[in-house]
Amino acid sequence: MTGEILETTAVEARAVAAAEIVVPAGESGHGHGGVATLLTVAAVVAAIIGFRAAIVSNSASNSWQTALRTEVKRSAAAMGDVRLLYEAELPVALRILEARTIQAELLAAAQQQSGPARAALVMEANVQSQIITALSPSSDLATNTDYSLSSGGFDLGKALADLRSQNPDLVSLNPDKLESSGDQQAHKAQLLTLTLIPTSFSALLGVLAQPLKRRRTLLLRLGAVALGIGAILALAVEAAA
Amino acid sequence: MIAPDSAAGLRAERRFDLVAAVLIGAIAILAAVLSVVQMSSSQDANRADLESARLAADLSARIAVSGEAIDSAGGLQQAALMVGMEAVAREEAGLQYDDPGSSAIGAAEQSAYKKLQAELADTSATTGGAPVDPYTAGLLNATTQQLIAEVREQNHQVDLGNAASFSEQLAVLGLSFLALSGVLTGLAAVLRESRGGRIALSAACLMAGAAGLLAILAFL
Repeated sequence: MTGEILETTAVEARAVAAAEIVVPAGESGHGHGGVATLLTVAAVVAAIIGFRAAIVSNSASNSWQTALRTEVKRSAAAMGDVRLLYEAELPVALRILEARTIQAELLAAAQQQSGPARAALVMEANVQSQIITALSPSSDLATNTDYSLSSGGFDLGKALADLRSQNPDLVSLNPDKLESSGDQQAHKAQLLTLTLIPTSFSALLGVLAQPLKRRRTLLLRLGAVALGIGAILALAVEAAA
Repeated sequence: MIAPDSAAGLRAERRFDLVAAVLIGAIAILAAVLSVVQMSSSQDANRADLESARLAADLSARIAVSGEAIDSAGGLQQAALMVGMEAVAREEAGLQYDDPGSSAIGAAEQSAYKKLQAELADTSATTGGAPVDPYTAGLLNATTQQLIAEVREQNHQVDLGNAASFSEQLAVLGLSFLALSGVLTGLAAVLRESRGGRIALSAACLMAGAAGLLAILAFL
């Protein structure tokens, strides 16, 4: 019986001590709801910001990936057109140009010759003429006067430009623009993640408000301010971009 | 009357709660910082990898297309030279067999060779010229110096990508330490002011410190 009385007295003494040391007068029991609210709101805001930053970052990666695919597509299209002109069209046009030039010189020489020499020159000129006649239908480069230079050669620049303009969608591909768009989105994602720092600082203040009961109100207010700053900065980043 | 040991115990308990609270707050801030570093490093690595891949694709196209233009110019001059060689051969054969027809053809071809050489030189000069779009013109007119500079830049981007990946790995390691620190703090909160609780809290502090160090290393 005496032991029970002593034990009860000891427990009461601990309770009194707790009240004196831990809880300042006038603040006992208040603020738990505030701490819980601040921490919950901070967690929700941080989750929303983190989710949004992840989406924007993913969008930046997509833009960069698209830029790479566009680069490959653009270079393949250009290589295809260059090969078509230089490997398929130019050799035929070159043979026609050779035949034309030789034929012209042979006919000019024939005007100044007579007898067997003239006959041989005319015959050889006819050979070149046959070559021109046979090959010309298959060479737009050699027959289209738009591609003729005043010196007698071909304007490969113009021919290639016309060839490329047959697929304007492939010419207008611009991976630099896509990459630049990705850079902007990446920058936005980074700014959004930076707003997590004031938000997490508000969580720190909220957690500290739990044991530091004497300064709980101040800490909760500061936490709310930090949280507000984080949220406003995140909204500003969203609005600016 | 209050027993002195009771008051001391409550003070220790309060200190324990304070340390745990500070640790939780520090974990929250470090998590935010490491997230920023991790996302930034990840993006840098991603961009550098893609840029190096883009440059590799561009280099491949430049080498192939500029090589095509150079080969074509050489091929055109060879074609003109072949006409000239044939002209000389015909002239020699005409003299050798006293064939005036062959000699006349050879002379005419010799004249044609000179004209053809000039025509083909003009043709080669139009490679990559207006009105070709700037991108294709850049491929056709790429010089060896430009290609070397692009290879250097491509290698630089690969190095940047590797460095950013390393930073990202450090940040992820830091986040792992933070997760461990969070778990240990939770364990300490359950065990309270016992020997096990103090050990758990100390280990959590250590883990959070390591995460902070990793955040600094990843940022540098």
